[in-house]
Amino acid sequence: MTKSKLKSLPSTASAGFTKMSAAGVIKTRLHPACRVRQEGFGLLFYDSRGPRLLFAATGTLLPENYFETAHASDELPAGLSDSQKLTLKKFVKQLLDKGFLREQ
Amino acid sequence: MSNKYVEMGMRSPVNLTWEVSLGCNLRCSHCLSSSGKPAKNEMTTEEALNLVEQLHQAKVFQINFGGGEPFMRPDFEQILAACHSRGIMTCISSNGTLLDAARVARLANANRLVAIQVSMDGACRETCDAIRGEGVFDAAIEAVKLLAATHIPTSINTVLTSQNASEIPAMHAMAKSLGVSLRVSRFRPSGRGAENWGSLRPTPAQLLAFSEWLASSGDVRTGDSFFSLTTQERQGLGLNLCGAAKLTCCVGPTGNMYPCAFLQTERFKAGSLREQSFQEIWDSSDIYASFRSLRIHSCEECQRFDQCHGGCPAVAWHLKNDINGGDPECLERCVTSIADAV
Repeated sequence: MTKSKLKSLPSTASAGFTKMSAAGVIKTRLHPACRVRQEGFGLLFYDSRGPRLLFAATGTLLPENYFETAHASDELPAGLSDSQKLTLKKFVKQLLDKGFLREQ
Repeated sequence: MSNKYVEMGMRSPVNLTWEVSLGCNLRCSHCLSSSGKPAKNEMTTEEALNLVEQLHQAKVFQINFGGGEPFMRPDFEQILAACHSRGIMTCISSNGTLLDAARVARLANANRLVAIQVSMDGACRETCDAIRGEGVFDAAIEAVKLLAATHIPTSINTVLTSQNASEIPAMHAMAKSLGVSLRVSRFRPSGRGAENWGSLRPTPAQLLAFSEWLASSGDVRTGDSFFSLTTQERQGLGLNLCGAAKLTCCVGPTGNMYPCAFLQTERFKAGSLREQSFQEIWDSSDIYASFRSLRIHSCEECQRFDQCHGGCPAVAWHLKNDINGGDPECLERCVTSIADAV
């Protein structure tokens, strides 16, 4: 199992999504072999190819269905601070590097 | 490791073992559930499909089907289809004898949501059939060949016993030559495994030799905390604590829920799906609560505690009638046992 270094942050997930992605920007979504669900600490990712788990202490910053559709790295829930956005962008890259996400 | 998150309590299991039937066409001498005839009053198709929906609602990621032989149930493929239509991943533990070309072709169309483990217990016919029955080795090999020709992730699953311990490297080579992977499980003294514990139990020397071999065989899978001390990759594959009632659980053929497949007794019954919902049992069972708070204090001073947290409570229960006492078959005790004998 792996653990994301992402720290728990206050929730702003109830606000809608901003639409900032430009045409041609790479979008990512959950890999078909992976699943994700909300837990008390944040998001729990499951990769059936290992199998392996990833515990991400995201709190409720990202809803569990966020990764079911493709998003550009700057398409994040509205209402986040700049530091939260930066942290989540790094987190998404980490998920991509680890194979939990794939490019659309 | 992420034990602290696990110990915070999960909303549902990551995966679970569902023994859909005790019915089996084989009588393997190490069978954990003494399978043979179906249990009286096994879950109906309607009950099984209802459970699939409950597991979907609970966001269980994967169901590991076992038994008995799952394909003995006439409605098993219907149950599988219900899982797959909801996006639930499945893994089937089968003896392979009922996997013909037509069935494998149907499984291969399951949206890549199915994996299959074919049970074998030796690298040669004599060893395997002595445990599983005459002709089973050849039938299992044929099933593996059929599966290997598809995209279905396939593994040969073997239970480490005194009879096949020396053949595990050869089984690894055999699996590679067939284009599948090898998974090795611990032999536990439950079901017929308890009756044959004395003759099939690996010796401490065999367990240690296997552990060393495993450390250098990174593509071999185990699901056991017992072996998670070997390589970093192996720790990533498994758990360094028992996952029963924390990350996984077991549903028996009649709808009773247990911490794991090796503790399917009244003593460890967490609830019945005929009386409560899956989520109610997961959330409120006293048995599950006791496993979540289980601490093997007698092992805490051990140098390997961080790697196993006391090992397998099921083995401790079956051998010592005490889930709090630590795993009597742990590697540290193997070392001690061998040293004492010298």
